[in-house]
Amino acid sequence: MSKIAAVMLRYLLISLFLFPSILILAQDRTISGVIQDALDQEPLSFANVSIKGTTVGTIADLDGNFTLQNVPEDAVLVVSYIGYVSQEVEISDDDFYEIYLSADAQMLADVVVIGYGRESRRNVTGSISILDSEAIERIDPPNVAQALQGTVSGVNVTQQGGSPGSESNIRIRGISTNGNNAPLIIVDGFQFEGGLNSINSQDIASMTVLKDAQAAIYGAAASNGVILITTKSGERNQEAQFTYQTYFGLQETSRKLPLLNATEYALLLNESYANAGLESPITQVTGLGRGTDWQDEVFSRAPIMSHNLAVRGGSETTSYSISGSILDQEGIVGRSKSSFDRKTASIALDSDLRDNLNVNARLFYFSTRNRSLNSFGLGSVLFNSLNMAPTIDKGVDDLTGEINLGNEVVNPLTQIRNTHNESRTNRLSGTVQLKFDYAPNLDIQARMGFNSALTQNRDFFPVFNYGPGKVFNRLEDNMVTLGKINDNDYTFDLFNTYRNIINDRHDIIFTLGMTVFRQYGEGLFGSSTGVPANSFDFADLSVATGSGDNRTADSYAYDVRRLSYFGRLQYILDDRYLMTGILRRDASTRFGPNNRVGYFPSLSLGWVMSEESFFPRLDYLDFLKFRGSYGVMGNDRIPDFLYLSLLSGQATYVSGDDNSLINGIAIGPLSNPNIKWEESRKLDVGFDIRFSNNKFNFVLDYYINNTRNLLVSDIPISGIMGVSAPGSSSPTVNAGSVRNQGFELEFLYRESLSENLNFTMGLNFSTIKNEVTAIDGRDVLEGGQFGVGQLPPSRMEVGQPIGYFYGYKTDGIFQNMDEVNGHASQVALGAPAQPGDIRYVDVNGDGVIDENDRVYLGDPIPDFTFGFNLEVNYGNWDFTGYLFGSVGNDIVRNFERDQPNVNQMSYKLDRWTGEGTSNRVPRTTVSATTNSVFSDFFMEDGSFVRIQSLGLGYNFQNNLMERAGINQLRVYAKVDNVYTFTKYSGYDPTASTGVPIGGGIDFGFYPIPRIYMLGVNAQF
Amino acid sequence: MKKIYLLLLILLVAASCKDDFVDVVPPYSINSETFFETPEDYELALVGAYDMLQATYVNVLMGEIASDNVNAGGESPTDVIGWQQVDRMIHTAVNSNIQDLWNFNFAGVQRASWMLENEDNIDFDGKDQIIAEARFLRAYFNFELLKWFGPIPIKESQFELGDELRIPRSSVDEVYDFIISELLDAIENLNVSSVQTGRVNQMAARSLLGKVHLYRENFQEAANQLNEVINSGIYHLYGTQGVERYEDLFEFLAENGPESVFEIQYTGVQGASFDCLQCSEGNVMVGFSGIRGYTGPVFESGFGFGLPRESVYNAFSEDDLRRDVSILDIEAWAAETGASFTIGNQDQNTGHTGYYNRKYLPRINNNQPDANLTQPNNNRAIRYADVLLMAAEALNRGGIDDEMARTYVNMVRNRAGLSDTNASGSDLLEVIINERRLELVGEGHRFFDLVRWNKAEEYIDGFTAPKNNLFPIPFEEIGFSQGNWEQNPGY
Repeated sequence: MSKIAAVMLRYLLISLFLFPSILILAQDRTISGVIQDALDQEPLSFANVSIKGTTVGTIADLDGNFTLQNVPEDAVLVVSYIGYVSQEVEISDDDFYEIYLSADAQMLADVVVIGYGRESRRNVTGSISILDSEAIERIDPPNVAQALQGTVSGVNVTQQGGSPGSESNIRIRGISTNGNNAPLIIVDGFQFEGGLNSINSQDIASMTVLKDAQAAIYGAAASNGVILITTKSGERNQEAQFTYQTYFGLQETSRKLPLLNATEYALLLNESYANAGLESPITQVTGLGRGTDWQDEVFSRAPIMSHNLAVRGGSETTSYSISGSILDQEGIVGRSKSSFDRKTASIALDSDLRDNLNVNARLFYFSTRNRSLNSFGLGSVLFNSLNMAPTIDKGVDDLTGEINLGNEVVNPLTQIRNTHNESRTNRLSGTVQLKFDYAPNLDIQARMGFNSALTQNRDFFPVFNYGPGKVFNRLEDNMVTLGKINDNDYTFDLFNTYRNIINDRHDIIFTLGMTVFRQYGEGLFGSSTGVPANSFDFADLSVATGSGDNRTADSYAYDVRRLSYFGRLQYILDDRYLMTGILRRDASTRFGPNNRVGYFPSLSLGWVMSEESFFPRLDYLDFLKFRGSYGVMGNDRIPDFLYLSLLSGQATYVSGDDNSLINGIAIGPLSNPNIKWEESRKLDVGFDIRFSNNKFNFVLDYYINNTRNLLVSDIPISGIMGVSAPGSSSPTVNAGSVRNQGFELEFLYRESLSENLNFTMGLNFSTIKNEVTAIDGRDVLEGGQFGVGQLPPSRMEVGQPIGYFYGYKTDGIFQNMDEVNGHASQVALGAPAQPGDIRYVDVNGDGVIDENDRVYLGDPIPDFTFGFNLEVNYGNWDFTGYLFGSVGNDIVRNFERDQPNVNQMSYKLDRWTGEGTSNRVPRTTVSATTNSVFSDFFMEDGSFVRIQSLGLGYNFQNNLMERAGINQLRVYAKVDNVYTFTKYSGYDPTASTGVPIGGGIDFGFYPIPRIYMLGVNAQF
Repeated sequence: MKKIYLLLLILLVAASCKDDFVDVVPPYSINSETFFETPEDYELALVGAYDMLQATYVNVLMGEIASDNVNAGGESPTDVIGWQQVDRMIHTAVNSNIQDLWNFNFAGVQRASWMLENEDNIDFDGKDQIIAEARFLRAYFNFELLKWFGPIPIKESQFELGDELRIPRSSVDEVYDFIISELLDAIENLNVSSVQTGRVNQMAARSLLGKVHLYRENFQEAANQLNEVINSGIYHLYGTQGVERYEDLFEFLAENGPESVFEIQYTGVQGASFDCLQCSEGNVMVGFSGIRGYTGPVFESGFGFGLPRESVYNAFSEDDLRRDVSILDIEAWAAETGASFTIGNQDQNTGHTGYYNRKYLPRINNNQPDANLTQPNNNRAIRYADVLLMAAEALNRGGIDDEMARTYVNMVRNRAGLSDTNASGSDLLEVIINERRLELVGEGHRFFDLVRWNKAEEYIDGFTAPKNNLFPIPFEEIGFSQGNWEQNPGY
């Protein structure tokens, strides 16, 4: 952006926000002056000048000149400018002042964590994005992963449904593997296993996303990118400072689907029977009215509430931080039956034991309680709400005598009432770190991080009859199941750092170290029938009366280890030529002895061109850096011991003598002794540029990630290998390559228009082009699920994006019999076509529509995503807005049960009823048709723009508060998930399981709620 | 300073784990490399092979649907689309239910092969019996695959990854020879009676071998084997002795009874889900055959698949006791008992008929959820009545002994309350053909009988010979074999 444009934008904003507020008081004398950059004496246009302790002030003009009238004799001027250190100027006898501001070195020297160390942001050679505590505090989502959505480039966060406590899928630079795409999460140096939803977002100081080859310092676990989370610490030499945050919110569904009401339903149903030559199932249509709106019955407003209290401070040698929080969230479906409670506590201590010895200890305790409803696919509460007949009264629990809705669809209200479960997790995590400066320029750090979690599940299934043949029925006996899972891990790091600046030219940091990581744990499960009183109150094995085969017990255990050595050299020459080289060696239990060890090198280079003497001294260009990186990383997130053939198959038969079970032994998943690392080769080039006194910050990256030796788990193989036997499955093999490439842009504009008004505007934009480049030994891999008994709808195929949708292409509706006869036969799809049926394209032109006519229909990967963030501070008011958009992703509608009598979406009203009536929606009939095979009729454009959050806050500032000891008090109102602009007809265009092959298929996900919140932040 | 460096060195060395840190064995897991070292190991592995028998519910149900006996039924004309297509004989190679057949039966073959390739690891008393049972099971699964798919790949040891590219589909004769040699081997080593109820004995192996020979039209060998079974005197038709009542034949009471030559065992004590139908310890076919939306006495509800057609109901004479044991007239039953039910699929070719397969209807019992998948009814895989009729057919068609054949047929007819037939020659064959249909309706034999009699095209709508004599190799398998296996003709 040119300087002119910047100036114009400032004028625009001034006229919008500022002019009404400039107060000029008639008093005392008039002074004037000019404000300039201390370094180059350039004028600082529109810098702020105000009189300390008052709201009196003005702003400088284009040339930095200002005039201030009625200035009291002993006034102190406060001069500020974004990106510069503010200055106070005492008024003397002079009437004219030349004021020089210095660029804020602190801001330029932002320090970022990069794994096993820190680096000044200026000198970082890799592609990173940072989210600071201010942004996290403002967004303050229940699950901190959501704070990354739309705020940083190259990161896409989707929720696994909107039910409370649901986890998020984080994808950094797209989908690079058909296996686990989750990034590595490092909290204060230790690997954090377990969902981010257990972390209190207010404890987080910053989140740094390593997107390129710089992540190679984490070797075998880094190929999906790394998120480094730093938690808050106290400050040295600071009195105890308390912060308290609270909010209360109401949640509601962000969308309801248009369904048929009772009358429409009855008419359409009768028509579908008539079209099959059958009698009308509903003879009395008049008087049905609108019937029951099952969505209205199921959705409700639900509260969310949060409290967070922290105290931080420190002495000369020690700092501390102690915090506690409570989050209480009920679900918009089922209220307390789908709820999430979280309590957290943390303590952090940092102390210099000696001049050369520092200890840093942090402990985090998380306690969560989650209750959940069946919220996924066939049989979920929402699925039942969508498919339940509107003619049925909401009070009917047992559907005997009602219209037959198949065996899966039951009254969702009854289902909610009969759902009893609870999952409690207590987790203790922490790290203790010692840093010993044992020689000049040398230090060694040892740290031990750990997670220890106990999860207890309790499920109760009461005796209940939903109606004849319903799959949820428990007619004979109730059942309780209990599970206790203990997950532990530790990360031990030992590393030595050498830093020195030699001859004022060579800035060297060399790190050498090792990491030991071990995960181990076990699970214990039991179940019994015969819970007394058919009540959750007695749902425990101790009182349940089941015996014999009605009482079961099971367990498992695991032990996974990784041993790593690494070295990193960061070298800077003349403050402008930057180089970082990394080598890591990993050995992992997940791989067989032949392939146990892997090496992961990376090299990144940078050039701060703006430091060069030949670089023109442009007054508006502050900083220009070019970067490039290349490196190799691994992904070891696959199930354990795949190289071994374990006898974990299920082998159970029945003794004919007494009908009891006999357990035997059988082969489990097929082994692959040659399994090896999945390997990503990442290239990134980019530049960072800041101009107009650092007001504009612009980062552009282009990247290519090639992932090879993809670990394809459960690879479809011939049935002759017996892998469909119970407990068996196909082997995991290294069988493919995927390339992701794209541009990423981050743009930040900070402006201060007066002391009272400043704003920050962020824009980020990411493109992704995903392509499968190889699959060894086969043409395609299939996955996903559509309908019942249909071919898998998603594929991985060379030359196509991973997980693309593969099915029949439609070509309108057959309008008459001539059209049917003139078209290729569709009988191979299950039934001969009739007028009113969907016409499929005979792609291969062989005169027959069959499985060979399936083609690429679309893919769930967006072409580009973008985020827009605005933060405006005006006087005591602050406003924040966050927006996220995704364009070009397709989504498959798979929540319509293919059953003759269930309710339908209202688009069915536009069905074909005769020649010329519709060329889009097929006829309705209960006879066999091919209209429900997977085709583009079920695929929609899932592009969307979502206003993620709008917030308005007010900061109280007065003497009364100060006397009460309150330094800061902010009240705010905020709305999350304000609105989603999309053409998609389902609940939520982000609905996805997140699996690489089979993602983007909407099984009727629980929509993400809209939340209205009121909150208070106080500091005292 | 030196001290510090020393300290550092010690620290680094001490902390430097070796790679054997990552050399761990999975906790509490059994590894295939250390298996088959005790007699118990063989017993345990044998259970695994038996386990796959429970997945053969799909053979029975789909066998019925393929025949002219039943409509596919279900909830709607597209419910379990694979079965609907088989019912209409419009199935193609893309059919997940045909794929289930292939997968489940090959899983049985594979589990038996795992034992057989380790048969020489150790020696112990009773090993011959265990190995013989495994051989029988492999022959059983292979014969099922042969019936459905014709030529199939066969191997002495387990199939390994890559075999699908190398091992061709053996010709039907080669598969027959393989099955016959395995059964002969099994017969030699099997006890005459089962070591435990439900386990294979020599008579079961002889019956299966007789059936294999009959399918191959080796009538003399078939008759020899089947006569051995009949003459052993171990079996009799249920309801012909003591307090037995014929109408209990398919009730829990008569399971593993005197008519049961080989019976696949099921139970409802363990829950099951749709995620893994083959994992159920219950008879999935039974829940799928159950009356839709049923409330009333005796039976439990189910999914209403495999609905007997009026034509088969009417094929019984009024006084044939088998009619009401085999087929439930739901309207009449509801009128008689006050029971209620719903109607699912109403398509005239595949939908509701008013009849249910009473032999395998779910009976009221306290099975675990999902109750539709865990019905405990055993599958009478080889019934003595079948043995008698097969023997009669072999004797008649082989021109061996019509009188003996007639005796066997009349045993079956008399038990059904019918009088003796006096037919002989081709008339007798017609009687046998008719008796097989009536005696064995609902048990999955009809389609294959019609095919081997070359009568399928005559009786089954949409059937085209020779294409439909076999089912298509699953589309996916043709892909996996990368040209090694050719699709069956016509598909």
